[in-house]
Amino acid sequence: MLRYVLSRLSQAVLVIFVMSFLLFVLIGLMPGDPIENMFEGNPSLTPELIGQMRELYGLDQPITLRYWHWLMAALQGDFGYSSLYSRPVLTVLGPALLQTGKLLALTLMISVPSAIILGALAARKPNGLVDSAIGLFSFAAISMPNFWVSLLLIILFSVNLGWLPASGLPMTSDASFWLELRHLILPVMVLVMFHVGPLIRYVRAAMIETLSADFVRTARAKGLSEGTVIARHAVRNALIPMITVLALSFGHLFSGALVIETIFGMLGMGKTIYDAVGNIDFNLALVGLLLATVVVLISNLLADLAYAYLDPRITL
Amino acid sequence: MELQMAGRDTAPLPAAAATVGSLLEVRDLGVSFATKEGRAQVVTGLNYSIGEGETLGIVGESGCGKTMTSLSLMGLVPPGGRVTGEIRFGGRNLVDQSARDWRSLRGRDIAMIFQEPMTAMNPVMTVGRQIAEVLTVHEGLSTASAFDRAVELLEAVGIPSPNQRARDYPHQLSGGMRQRAMIAMALACKPKLLVADEPTTALDVTIQAQILDLILELQEDTGMSVQFITHNLAVVSELAHRILVMYAGRGVENAPAEKIFDNPLHPYTRGLIATLPDPDRKVDQLFVIPGSLRIQPQRGCRFASRCSLASEICAATEPPMLEVETDHFVACHKVTP
Ligand SMILES: Nc1ncnc2c1ncn2[C@@H]1O[C@H](COP(=O)(O)OP(=O)(O)OP(=O)(O)O)[C@@H](O)[C@H]1O
Ligand code: SF4
Ligand SMILES: [Mg+2]
Repeated sequence: MLRYVLSRLSQAVLVIFVMSFLLFVLIGLMPGDPIENMFEGNPSLTPELIGQMRELYGLDQPITLRYWHWLMAALQGDFGYSSLYSRPVLTVLGPALLQTGKLLALTLMISVPSAIILGALAARKPNGLVDSAIGLFSFAAISMPNFWVSLLLIILFSVNLGWLPASGLPMTSDASFWLELRHLILPVMVLVMFHVGPLIRYVRAAMIETLSADFVRTARAKGLSEGTVIARHAVRNALIPMITVLALSFGHLFSGALVIETIFGMLGMGKTIYDAVGNIDFNLALVGLLLATVVVLISNLLADLAYAYLDPRITL
Repeated sequence: MELQMAGRDTAPLPAAAATVGSLLEVRDLGVSFATKEGRAQVVTGLNYSIGEGETLGIVGESGCGKTMTSLSLMGLVPPGGRVTGEIRFGGRNLVDQSARDWRSLRGRDIAMIFQEPMTAMNPVMTVGRQIAEVLTVHEGLSTASAFDRAVELLEAVGIPSPNQRARDYPHQLSGGMRQRAMIAMALACKPKLLVADEPTTALDVTIQAQILDLILELQEDTGMSVQFITHNLAVVSELAHRILVMYAGRGVENAPAEKIFDNPLHPYTRGLIATLPDPDRKVDQLFVIPGSLRIQPQRGCRFASRCSLASEICAATEPPMLEVETDHFVACHKVTP
């Protein structure tokens, strides 16, 4: 167990190193020039000055050497400055990660239980009325683009009814819990719609398969009630593999959050990275993307551990 | 029928109220499924009975309807299946009884063990808990005392270090051990009837013999009745008092075991006996009757396409089941009293 975790962690570290190099090179290849971007429209900027600035920032060196310098500094905890915010990147990314974390946590807290309930209900009578209704819902959830759903909800709840705010909280505001929650409702609704459709289908298929399994027949042959058969025997078996599906959907959900954060003007990870790339904020984009990688790697490791914990057939 | 069902929730069954000595009476049983090509009648007009303490062997090749017959005794025919006729158990007709009545019967009055011990148990629940579950449902035992009983039951079916095995998950047990555990589960509430659907088919030969011995032994101890299903006549020869031979969803011969072995009358049964393996031939090579089984709506005898005695009448009318000699029933035009 401990050995497994350690070996997985060392793999993760390796992945992060490789990722950091690739991202470094890729971002270096981005069109646009950070120096020009920084002093855009400044008439006093002469070519000589630009050259001096390049030297100052080390941009005249070959990319491998620049990576080496960056890595050495990063290993000592110095991830550099954000040119966009004029602050250390970690102080920008910390609150952004928290914001996205809240968004994703709330989304998962709603989408996972509802997918389990709806999927299990649909599986009770395949092709029955309930199944068809739930199937229609998940089909709609899958096919509607999330920016479109966002706009629809904003028009309905913010513009027409005036019940909910159309934008996320500004990062700096010292908001109460309830105010913050109000600002999260619409984005979470959109993300739940985005996430829940495929999950319902997965749960439904897994439950249908499990309900025809031999051990479910055995459970019925014992004289257990249908509710006990489903809750105690079928659901757990059907849902263990769902952990993997969830972990895989996490990266997808993360990218969905990017669109949602942009629409609702929330300064989460997605919007921060998006802005960093748009403004050629080299450091912020690099560290932001690396942080996203770390989050996905950790969630995959946790998923594997949870799987092994819940399924007695797997020993690590 | 409603009258008989009243008050039947917790009280034990009245001992053989209807026919003296007969625990189970199956009359004109039919099982059919709605398919795209119309209704598939997979069991038709089946009649048999099982006395108290008696073992009935049901024999027939794959697909002839043995499992569906067994599942209809448990009310567990898969969705889409329709059961018709009568299943009289302790004087009541089980067909069409309420879901609630089925639940109180399953696992308590009639218990079943299945062909595949590998998949018949919940892989994420310990063996002990799975056995204990029956006792908590039917006997109202607490989880802890039900678990203790489960350990005793595992010991009773010959599982070594039952305390440890009860805490194991099914994948930690061998196939033979799992089938023993399934038997322990089935016998937990001392059922009156044990339905064993090919319980040894998936096991290797030495384990098969041990499981058969175990069932025989437990039956002698408890006096329960057994419906033992197999496609292998050799397997039932040791433990069946009576044998029902099925072909394509119908009963074709029904007699005490000695008569079936000494004097088989139906051409299909004769074929089965003739192809019984030598002790040193593999059991799997049992069926070498030419042709294969087809269940289709058709006139006449269903065995006609494979029968060397078939004549015009066989294709025209279905042979009725007749008592051709004392207590020996055969459905064949060419075998008459
Ligand atoms: N859900 C279903 N819908 C339609 N036909 C079915 C269904 N389930 C089973 N059948 C058919 O019913 C027939 C009897 O099946 P059954 O499982 O009772 O056979 P069996 O005698 O137990 O065979 P085996 O020795 O292979 O277990 C088969 O021909 C099968 O194709
Ligand atoms: S009825 Fe005819 S076809 Fe059928 S088993 Fe008898 S002889 Fe053969
Ligand atoms: Mg079968």
